[in-house]
Amino acid sequence: MTANTAPAKVPAVPGASGAPARPPRRRPASPARRPGWTPWLYLLPALVLLGGLLVYPIYQLGLISFLEYTQAQVSGGEPTTFQGFGNYATLFRDSQFWQVLLATVVFAAACVLATLFVGCALAVLLTRVRALPRLALMMAALGAWATPAITGSTVWVFLFDPDFGPVNKVLGLGDFSWTYGRWSAFALVLLEVLWCSFPFVMVTVYAGIRAIPTEVLEAASLDGASQWRIWRSVMAPMLRPILIVVTIQSVIWDFKVFTQIYVMTNGGGIAGQNLVLNVYAYQKAFASSQYSLGSAIGVVMLVILLAVTLVYLRLVRRQGEEL
Amino acid sequence: MSARTLLRVRRPGRLAAEAAALVIAVVVAFPLYWMVLSAFKPAGEIQSTEARPWTLAPSLDSFRRVFEQQEFGRYFLNSLIVAGTVVIVSALIAFLAATAVTRFRFRFRTTLLIMFLVAQMVPVEALTIPLFFLMRDFGQLNTLGSLILPHLAFSLPFAIWMLRGFVKAVPEALEEAAYIDGASRTRFLWQILFPLVFPGLVATSVFSFISTWNDFLFAKSFIISDTSQSTLPMALLVFFKPDENDWGGIMAASTVMTIPVLVFFVLVQRRLVSGLGGAVKD
Amino acid sequence: MKLSARIAAPAAALVLAGLTATACAPQTSDTSAEGDKKSGTLRVWLFQEVGNKPKEKVVDAAVADFEKAHEGAEVEVEYIPVDTRAQRIKAAFNDPKSAPDVIEYGNTDTAGYVKDGGLADVSKEFAAWDEAKDTDPTAKQSVTVGGQVYGAPFFVGVRALYYRTDVFEELGVEPPKSQDELISTARKIHAKKPGLYGLAVGGAYTYGAMPFIWAQGGELADETGVTYQSAINSEKARKGIEAYTSLFGDDNCPAAKCAAMGGNATVTAFASGKAAMAIGGDFSHAAVEAGAVKGKYAVVPLPGVKKGTIAPAFAGGNNIGVLKSSSHRTLAVDLMKSLTGKKTQAKMFDAMGFLPTYTDVLDTAAEKEPFVGPFVDTLGAGAKFVPASPAWGQIDASLVLPNMFQEIVSGRKDVATASDDAAKKMDAAFAEAG
Repeated sequence: MTANTAPAKVPAVPGASGAPARPPRRRPASPARRPGWTPWLYLLPALVLLGGLLVYPIYQLGLISFLEYTQAQVSGGEPTTFQGFGNYATLFRDSQFWQVLLATVVFAAACVLATLFVGCALAVLLTRVRALPRLALMMAALGAWATPAITGSTVWVFLFDPDFGPVNKVLGLGDFSWTYGRWSAFALVLLEVLWCSFPFVMVTVYAGIRAIPTEVLEAASLDGASQWRIWRSVMAPMLRPILIVVTIQSVIWDFKVFTQIYVMTNGGGIAGQNLVLNVYAYQKAFASSQYSLGSAIGVVMLVILLAVTLVYLRLVRRQGEEL
Repeated sequence: MSARTLLRVRRPGRLAAEAAALVIAVVVAFPLYWMVLSAFKPAGEIQSTEARPWTLAPSLDSFRRVFEQQEFGRYFLNSLIVAGTVVIVSALIAFLAATAVTRFRFRFRTTLLIMFLVAQMVPVEALTIPLFFLMRDFGQLNTLGSLILPHLAFSLPFAIWMLRGFVKAVPEALEEAAYIDGASRTRFLWQILFPLVFPGLVATSVFSFISTWNDFLFAKSFIISDTSQSTLPMALLVFFKPDENDWGGIMAASTVMTIPVLVFFVLVQRRLVSGLGGAVKD
Repeated sequence: MKLSARIAAPAAALVLAGLTATACAPQTSDTSAEGDKKSGTLRVWLFQEVGNKPKEKVVDAAVADFEKAHEGAEVEVEYIPVDTRAQRIKAAFNDPKSAPDVIEYGNTDTAGYVKDGGLADVSKEFAAWDEAKDTDPTAKQSVTVGGQVYGAPFFVGVRALYYRTDVFEELGVEPPKSQDELISTARKIHAKKPGLYGLAVGGAYTYGAMPFIWAQGGELADETGVTYQSAINSEKARKGIEAYTSLFGDDNCPAAKCAAMGGNATVTAFASGKAAMAIGGDFSHAAVEAGAVKGKYAVVPLPGVKKGTIAPAFAGGNNIGVLKSSSHRTLAVDLMKSLTGKKTQAKMFDAMGFLPTYTDVLDTAAEKEPFVGPFVDTLGAGAKFVPASPAWGQIDASLVLPNMFQEIVSGRKDVATASDDAAKKMDAAFAEAG
């Protein structure tokens, strides 16, 4: 979808200037003009913590991905050896890796779209109902959010079990097995992921709508605009900062789905048909202590996510939103 | 409240919307209901060919197995300590950092912001190994510190990203007015900005609370030899076994784990919604 | 433009740092022991069972005996959840400071832990220990890697055939006596009672499938001097795979449902009254008793190919070993003996139902508790074990065998292709593990 919108946007912008348009920037007022060391002082605790506990481990992760590093090396039984891109070569030669990568991208995209759509739709719904139904929906959603992923997945498998689950009985599906087919298994996992991740979107977007000055919405609905029009031309533009955060977070989380796939499809589905990258990495690497291969997969995931996010942020910036 | 009352919708439309909201609430809550129900079902009934949405012989056996575990109360307390510390400390640190990246312009600002995103992109599973050695070298293994520190680091980037919106929402005019009145930077930060952003802090705390509270990975990787430092998820993991999962115990332990989060939600619900809203006002 | 340039900096820094700063290599640990102290505190990790109290009692008694016999020695027992054992034990290998002296471990992990350099070689002590002479040979095999002994067997677990007495009586069928009979009985029951699986099987239930391979004379892998070579694609093994996978289908256990099942799910199906037969372990007793079929089932050994024979079962179970990093080696070995001795095992059977690893203790147990009879018979007929190679952990974790069965029953590949592919993956793992 991004491929379609990107070229369409280009002709819209050039009016501003010939050079790549930069949005006009509002300069923060007085003290910020000479920030000096103050921002760094404020950032210091965060940077110390993140530097020590995230940047350094990520650096180690990158390093390990270039070494031969299994449990034997970790416990000091054998010396570590430099492998160059050996681990990456092993990975890229594995035809299964490419299949899994494709499945991961498609599955994550579907999850993100479904989550954003349902979350936003329900947020709008929340603004149109009275306190009691709103509280009911809110509490149900928060409950889904609060459930540990491992339990949520287990319960969903129970519910959709062909022999023991109530869902097939209610829907009259007989003993249809959800986990047998590749698509139905992915669909089931998608439903569970949707269940536990739409609340974040719903609550955030709802709160955003609540903060929109009421006169604006009032005016729109007096004009007789449809709900979709109001969303499209009034709410969405005003909510953009929130939508950006929500989208990026959903991409990051859904791309790294692990527990749901692992629990619901029994470690990756029939003959591995439902593997996604994170589960694949776990099976290939961490469960069997081939840490270097696992690290290489981690680095690949990082690079892909980074690329996706950057493309998205660039699109957003083209539309005049600053970071 | 005013938003809702002003946003008056025609009656039949609203009734349909409310009916839809209630139906969706029931659907969303159903898996939760099933979890609690399974916790109360007697052992043989949890997976039986007649899946009934009720039980005629509710039993507390599963809950008893949960509470009978070694030092269950201790686990609970540890979980509270870890989650509480992470929530408070990360909120404070993220507040400072978010202020820095929104109210100041300096070199590497965007780079930093991107780094905060990158930090969330690495699969946590892959980082446990380097983190393990780090904790070992700091002598933090087997202490609550080995849980608090990584969780702090993992919840910070997200908290900073979320808080940015709230800090941005505070009008600059207010800041200027404060300085004209002779307030120092520190005074502005803590006595004016902090209270204004507080609802946002509550909102972001929810995220760090849930992720810390529900974490299994660090809990089982860093607390190696001292059960007195274990957290609640350990009391749940006991029921997962290669050949004979104890479903009743799993459901009961999950119920016990979910309740405090729900209580936390109910307590902050109002602030959560009003707080998250702040992120849009630009 | 500008944006990507700004990212390029940290990204490049990350990569460059990885390439240049090799001086600061990832850590390794030194797990060698520092002497052999004759007093002090010994730390023990045992698995936490679902109903752990009776186990604690037996262990406490054994520990008390040990402390009485060894003045100045104290024992600290900790129960760890089975689900987290992998992390905990690996972490213990990496951080000798938090490592215990004695651990309980699943017997399929033996070779992996030895390769990781975690377990101490106790061959000499084991050979000199008089009780050890009665150890069941399969159990002994499960502590042996490359001819050396790395611990003492704690208990064994084997699987046998659970069947519904009421269904069998109603349909007038007898418990099967051979593999062919087993398959035909399963089909007959499903034809007459379509609501029941004849024999509940699972595509991910490797331990349920292994006896079919072994009964045909097949092997998972052959030992070739130092390492192993996969034999899963041999003629005999394929026959077993063929037999097991023939049970998936609309005439017994529909592939759509059974392909995904693991051992847990098949036992649940049986316990809830969904299956007329299932392959379950002695440890599944409690789950079945709690289910709808209580009082309506019995157990016989899983039949072999020839009428009246027993198919070799997988000998699961746990061992107790001493850590290489222990600074109290002599004491730790004594404690291991006291925890796995005949007296403790007999009591452990009474308390938890764990099958003892000594042939004589096992026989006494069978007399006391008729339920375990078929399991003891199965053990007596010669149970088998997975290849004692560190690669096994990897093969197991990457689901090579479940994938093979699932590929066959879902019709993606035929037996020959699927077993060839599985063999290739196994051999790659064996080669890597050396």
